[in-house]
Amino acid sequence: MTILEEPIKEALTLKNYIGEEWVESEGEIVDVVNPATCKVIAKVPISTKDEINAAVEAANKAFPDWRRTPPLARARCLFRLKELMEERFEELSRIQTMEHGKTIDESRGETRRGIENVEVGAGIPSLMMGYNLEDIAAGIDEYVIRQPLGVFGIIGPFNFPFMVPLWFAPYAVATGNCIIIKPSSEDPISQAKIAEMVEEAGFPPGVWNVVNGGRTVVSGMLDHPNIEGICFVGSTPVAKDVIYRKCGETGKRVIAQAGAKNFLLVMPDSNLESTIAACMTSFYGNTGQRCLSGANLVVVGEGLNEHAYNAFYRKVVEAFVDAACKIRVGYGLDESVQMGPIRDMSKKERVNGFIEKGIEEGAKLRLDGRNVKLVSDLPHTCFLNPTVFEDVTPDMTIGKEEIFGPVASIMKAKSLDEAIEIIHSNPFGNAASIFTSNGKLAREFQYRVQCGNIGINIGIVAPMAFFPFSGMKDSFFGTLHGQGIEAIRFFTESKVVIQRWF
Amino acid sequence: MEEPKATASAIINFAEKLEDDSSNFYERLAEKFAEMNRVFLSFAEESKKNKVLVTRTYRETITDALEACFSFEGLNLSNYVVKTILTDDTSYSDALRMAIEFEDKASKFYLDVAELSKSLLATIPTAFRKVADRRNSRKQALKSLLDKAIAQR
Repeated sequence: MTILEEPIKEALTLKNYIGEEWVESEGEIVDVVNPATCKVIAKVPISTKDEINAAVEAANKAFPDWRRTPPLARARCLFRLKELMEERFEELSRIQTMEHGKTIDESRGETRRGIENVEVGAGIPSLMMGYNLEDIAAGIDEYVIRQPLGVFGIIGPFNFPFMVPLWFAPYAVATGNCIIIKPSSEDPISQAKIAEMVEEAGFPPGVWNVVNGGRTVVSGMLDHPNIEGICFVGSTPVAKDVIYRKCGETGKRVIAQAGAKNFLLVMPDSNLESTIAACMTSFYGNTGQRCLSGANLVVVGEGLNEHAYNAFYRKVVEAFVDAACKIRVGYGLDESVQMGPIRDMSKKERVNGFIEKGIEEGAKLRLDGRNVKLVSDLPHTCFLNPTVFEDVTPDMTIGKEEIFGPVASIMKAKSLDEAIEIIHSNPFGNAASIFTSNGKLAREFQYRVQCGNIGINIGIVAPMAFFPFSGMKDSFFGTLHGQGIEAIRFFTESKVVIQRWF
Repeated sequence: MEEPKATASAIINFAEKLEDDSSNFYERLAEKFAEMNRVFLSFAEESKKNKVLVTRTYRETITDALEACFSFEGLNLSNYVVKTILTDDTSYSDALRMAIEFEDKASKFYLDVAELSKSLLATIPTAFRKVADRRNSRKQALKSLLDKAIAQR
C-alpha cells in the first residue's frame, strides 16, 4: 500500500490574516504537532487582545462596502473560492491528516463537506430573498427584507479543522457580513490555507479574517461591542457556561454546538451485516473524535423472549468485536489505514482514564485498545486501537459521559421504550440512530427521541450543507443552527416594510 | 493483523496510476511508430480524461463511501498489473500485443470495481463502467490494427 507524500516538508510559521494582510503576532508561539509522527509541522501564535481588536476593526471597516456589494458579486467570490478548493483538494486533505491525524479518506470527506457549504452559500441571491404580500390593507403592501448585521466571530474545534468553520463562514459573508475565524490552536493550518485561497479569490480586505490563539482571542470576541454574534463548536462546559452565557449578557447572537453521547439502537429485525459496518464508521471513524460518533450501542430485545434476546445480544456483541479488532490503525497517509491517532497525548490519557473507570465500575472489557498495534513503525504516543466494553449500564461513567475517543459501550434494553428512556436519561441530545427494518418502530423512534439529529439505519447522522446541523439539550445552545437556510436567518436581520403611496 | 484492505483511496490511486501509465505508454508508442501517432496520441489523451473522470467522481462522492464503511473487499490489485517495456527491438506487432493485454487488464479492473461499488451512489459504478467501455473499445481497435499488420506481412 502507498504512503502518500506529505505536503508539509518543514515546519510552517503561521501568521494572522487581518484586513488582507499576513500579520505576525506578538503573542507566544506554540508547536503544531503531527499526532502520528510526533513531528512539529507548524508554529502558531497565541494572539493578543490588541490583535483580535485589530481584526474586529478591519472587519468593521470592511462591512459597509461589503454589505452594499450585490449578492451576485459576493457569490462570485465564493464560486472562485470553491474552484480554488477543488484545485487544491488533495493538498488540503493531506494537511488535515497531518495536523489532525484522521485517515486520508476521512480528510477527503471533510474537504468535500466543507466545499459543499461554500457551494450552498454561493446560492445567496436566491437564499437571501425576502417575501411580500400585496394589499394587506387598502392600497398597502408589506414585505420582509433580510439585512446583514456586521461582524461575526467563528470559533473552530480541533476535530474538524477544515470543515466546521465552513458551516458558518460562507453563509456569513454571502449575506454581507464580515468574519473573524479563530481556528483551534492544535490544528490551525487548514484555516490558514483557506485564508490563502480567500485572498486569491478576491474577497475585499477585512471581509474574511483569521486570528490564531486561545482564550484571549475568544474573550476578546465575546467582550467586543462590535461583534454581533458568535458561532462556536466545542465542549459543553465552554459552550454553556462561557459562550452562551456571555453572549446572553452582551446581547450577541449565538450558535453554540457542544458535546454529545450518541446512542445507536440495534433492533432484532435489523440487517446485522450492514448495521455492524455502519457502526464501525460511527464508533471509530475520526478515531471517535466526532460529535456525531456512536458512543453507546444499545442492543434492544423488542418482541423477544429472554432466551432469544440473550442469543441476539451475543450475536451483536461478537460481530461488533470481530469487526472492531480488524480495524487497521496507523498513519492516515498510509492508504491501508482505517483509523488514525488521537489528536494529542493528553486526550489519549483522558480516554485511557475512561477505560480504567469502565473496568473499575464493572463493565466487561472485550477489546482493549490500550494494546496498541499499528500497521507500521510509529511512536505509540497518541495511538489507541478500538476498544469495546459490554454489559455497560447507563449510570456508569463510560455510559453517560462523552469520551471522545475510539471506545464503544454496549448496553442492553429489553424494549424500545426502555431504550428511549435510557437515551432521555442522558443530558446530551445531539444524535441517535435506530437500525431496524420495521417502519413503525423507526417512526416511533424519530417521533419521540429528544435529539437534534436522528438516523434511521444511518451510523453518522451528518446533515448535508443545505440542512441545519441540529442538536438539543446539553448538545446545543442557541436557537438557529449552522448550515443552510437557518444559517442565512442567523446571519441576517428580518426587516419588515409596510408601504403605502398617496 | 489481516491482509491490507483495498480502501477506496488505494483503488483510486491505482486507477490514477493506471491512466498515467497508459498515457505515457501510448505517447511512447506514438513516438516509436510515427505513422500511427494519431491513434496512439488519441489514446493517451483519452487516458488523461479517464483520470480526471475517476478522480472527480471519487472526490465528489467520498462521503458516501465513508458512511458505508466501504472497501473493495476481495480485490487483488496485482491481478491487474501489466509490464509495458518498450525497447528499440520491440516490433509494431509486439507493441500492439502488449497494448491489447494492457487494455484487457484495465478493462477488467474497471468492470470489477464497478461491480464491487454498485451499492454506492450510482455515479461511482457508472464512471468505472464508462472507462471500462472506453478501454474495451481501444482493445478492439488495437486488435484490428494487429490483424491488419499480420495480414500485411
